[in-house]
Amino acid sequence: MARVVIVGAGQAGRRCAEALRDLDPEAEIVLLGEEPHPPYDRPPLSKAVLLGADPGNGLFVRAPEFYAARRIALRTGARVAAIEPAAGRVVTEAGERIGYDALVLATGARARRLAVPGAEDPRVLTLRTLDDAAALRARLLARPRVAVVGGGLIGLEVAAAACRLGCAVTVLEAAERLMARCVPPAVSDLVAALHRARGVTLHLGQALRAIEPRPGGLVLDAGAVRVEAELVVAGIGGVPNTTLAEAAGLAVRDGILTDAQGRSSAEGIYAAGEVARFPHPFLGRAARLESWQVAQNQPAAVARALCGEAAPYDEIPWLWTDQFDWNLQVLGDPDPAFELVRRPAGEGRATFLALDAGGRVRGAVLLNNGREATPCRRLIAAGKAVDRARLADPEVPLRQLA
Amino acid sequence: MPDWHRVAEEADLKPETPLGVRVGDTQIALVRLEDGIYAVSDVCTHEYALLSEGFCEDGRLECPLHQACFDIRTGKALTEPAEVDLATYPVKVEDGAVFVRV
Ligand SMILES: Cc1cc2nc3c(=O)[nH]c(=O)nc-3n(C[C@H](O)[C@H](O)[C@H](O)COP(=O)(O)OP(=O)(O)OC[C@H]3O[C@@H](n4cnc5c(N)ncnc54)[C@H](O)[C@@H]3O)c2cc1C
Ligand code: FES
Repeated sequence: MARVVIVGAGQAGRRCAEALRDLDPEAEIVLLGEEPHPPYDRPPLSKAVLLGADPGNGLFVRAPEFYAARRIALRTGARVAAIEPAAGRVVTEAGERIGYDALVLATGARARRLAVPGAEDPRVLTLRTLDDAAALRARLLARPRVAVVGGGLIGLEVAAAACRLGCAVTVLEAAERLMARCVPPAVSDLVAALHRARGVTLHLGQALRAIEPRPGGLVLDAGAVRVEAELVVAGIGGVPNTTLAEAAGLAVRDGILTDAQGRSSAEGIYAAGEVARFPHPFLGRAARLESWQVAQNQPAAVARALCGEAAPYDEIPWLWTDQFDWNLQVLGDPDPAFELVRRPAGEGRATFLALDAGGRVRGAVLLNNGREATPCRRLIAAGKAVDRARLADPEVPLRQLA
Repeated sequence: MPDWHRVAEEADLKPETPLGVRVGDTQIALVRLEDGIYAVSDVCTHEYALLSEGFCEDGRLECPLHQACFDIRTGKALTEPAEVDLATYPVKVEDGAVFVRV
């Protein structure tokens, strides 16, 4: 593999470069990122960074010297404006042409903007980048009344951080429950109770219609409720950055379509991380997963494909969120249609197991109980029917059931 | 100079069930394995999580947050995303009490 150009220097771009270097000491690796920063992981942005706490190694995972030491030509502030597949090169915004033998698109996603009247107001923010996080933190320190639109993972983490910083916080969610895309209703209820107990006002089943500017503030109109705030944060999901891929003629459908190892519809072009939509062996369907896990490990499978190794990406999906002092981890597919078994684990902790019609564990939610993540993952991987009573019995170690 | 500190009773330590203790500001995870009791730093070297809340098996301690694994006997970081080893501390047991040198 002569020269590999990776577009997007986020977590997935970094991981692909590192994994490729481990596999191939010779390859020339060029990592191009539009942001001014070296690669960083995003999870701390809505947690430690907003709170002004030390994210440890969790943000900039690598020291700045790392890239040169591993002979990864990292270029920040370098936005790629076009791909010229026939010529085998990319063109940067500055007009530079860079040839490639293989191209990896690790362009991730951007925050979805609100599409209601008034959403262009400068007091309406989103959170995706380190610069977004710094700007949001600066505003939160003035303790405005904050309205968070969207009760998903990022919206709720922002709500928790704003609340901890002393802001009065209201969350508006269009669905009838929180985190509806990733946890079953019983867990949504617990998360709602947590936020309410800490003083966050929740309005569920309330879709935002408009944001009205007022002297000194904003009013969010959601029909039945009106919320006053000085600052609005929209946490309504991400939009994959597929413009480059589309313009280059790649197959795209809410993500760049790839095989199980990141190969796109165009020869020699791959997609890594959150921008890729790929057939997921565990889910049994094509999926585009917005998680640290996929950004961490799917790019390594892409690097193996670049080196001609057949080793598809095959992990049981996993994500986590930290809200107030809670850590919630979601494994597998805890579909709301499944039966949910609660396994108590002492004060403030529990494991919820989602069983399909055949009594097999298909998913799990761990509430302050990361200790059971690995045994749960094994149970899910085993894919055999388990006894409900034993699952629910905290005296029976889960690893005995796997 | 490091000193011995009494941190737990031997009877509190069940096999492969980590126990978090503190000596001043130092957080320590104690673990009983077949060949004795070991003490490692309780704080994951990746981000911030207490390893004493993690899963323990085959002499390995797994972080409850992103599941990095550490060798309990040597403190070695075995799997991503952790890359920095854990500090280890000497342990002794006297009259049923567990001491660590910190
Ligand atoms: C605030 C926040 C909190 C999160 N918390 C969690 C969590 O707790 N748990 C969890 O599991 N997941 C979490 N996630 C999800 C996880 O961080 C993402 O799924 C992950 O960042 C995806 O990584 P990526 O590298 O694929 O994409 P990105 O991180 O989006 O990186 C893509 C990079 O490509 C660059 N780029 C795009 N287009 C171009 C171009 N044309 N030229 C050059 N560069 C380009 C972008 O600027 C960006 O830097 C969180 C995400 C956010 C935003
Ligand atoms: S904090 Fe331990 S693995 Fe990330």
